[in-house]
Amino acid sequence: MSGPSILPIELQVPSLLVLGLFLAWVLRLIRTHRLNVRESLVWLLTTLAAMAVTAFPSLLARLAHLVGIQVPANAIFGAGLLYLAVNVLAVTLAVSAISERSRRLAQECALLRAEVDALRARLPDPGDARREPRDPARP
Amino acid sequence: MRVAAIVPAYNEGRNLPRLAEALLAHAPALDVCVVDDGSTDDTARVAASLGWTVLRLPVNLGIGGAVQAGYLWARDRGHDVAVQIDGDGQHDPAFLPRLLAPIQEGRADVVIGSRFLSEGGFRSTLVRRAGIRYLAWFLRLRCGARVTDPTSGFRAASRAAIEFFARRYPSDYPEPEAIALASRHGLRVAEVPVTMHERAHGSSSITWARTLYYLVKVSIALVLLPVREERAREAEGA
Repeated sequence: MSGPSILPIELQVPSLLVLGLFLAWVLRLIRTHRLNVRESLVWLLTTLAAMAVTAFPSLLARLAHLVGIQVPANAIFGAGLLYLAVNVLAVTLAVSAISERSRRLAQECALLRAEVDALRARLPDPGDARREPRDPARP
Repeated sequence: MRVAAIVPAYNEGRNLPRLAEALLAHAPALDVCVVDDGSTDDTARVAASLGWTVLRLPVNLGIGGAVQAGYLWARDRGHDVAVQIDGDGQHDPAFLPRLLAPIQEGRADVVIGSRFLSEGGFRSTLVRRAGIRYLAWFLRLRCGARVTDPTSGFRAASRAAIEFFARRYPSDYPEPEAIALASRHGLRVAEVPVTMHERAHGSSSITWARTLYYLVKVSIALVLLPVREERAREAEGA
């Protein structure tokens, strides 16, 4: 069946435009150091893939046919969901790594505070000479 | 033999003096380290006034992160044994000699104080007991550890176990998973009978929905155990 294109041109052009703008936004975020390259990689690759499929809808039709999807439009939804799922997973991975690190940092911080407490207790007249301001909440 | 007591505490300022009395009566030579898990009350001040070391976590890490901070402390201070005692009055220091004995005799690396090996005392609700039995069964299935009270936070660790837990300790609801990790790591796990009290002040942090989450979380952790250990070993080798 080589009938009408699955993606009419009126839809194809705005789609490419939106994806292009999105890509430009991601690139700008990287250039202004608000997004590091490592985290942006998944966004860049998946967005480029989405642009390729939008530019050449026959790719999508062939892919849909390959996995046995009857209506190519459904392949768009499938690919869209996959795109989001991959990116959300990447974010979750990053969050996991960060929480592991912040746990270690909090523990290290607590150990150092205890060390400072012990050292301060050993000073001859703590805080007397220089009138060190002391937090009343902390012993 | 230098013994450290790790006391994870979240808003337990009112319960700590009672623990201090009991510790003085039963185990005065203990090096006590209270881990203040971001409390909003005077936990840290009370603990310091009792002459204890206080680790003040700047944010609330949950019981796993708090206990691990204690193990890091015990590791750095070179303690031979560490015991975990909750700050809420559930755990009776009178049982400390019993908890320490298997380690002192070189028979075990991790000793769990079990409510279910002895008669009497506080044993939790029926639903929770069923959950605990399920966890015990699962734990035995996955790593052969025979433990009747896997959720008990009243436990002792040898030097080898201290070093292991300082490196790796699960984050939330860590007790059963910690047993599994230790046992997979080749540490010997033993159990001794203890009786527990109901908490003196304040409410337990475990509600019904959390009990369910607890079971699901620990089950997943136990199922995924081998992979995680292999990955961890690779990471250490690299």
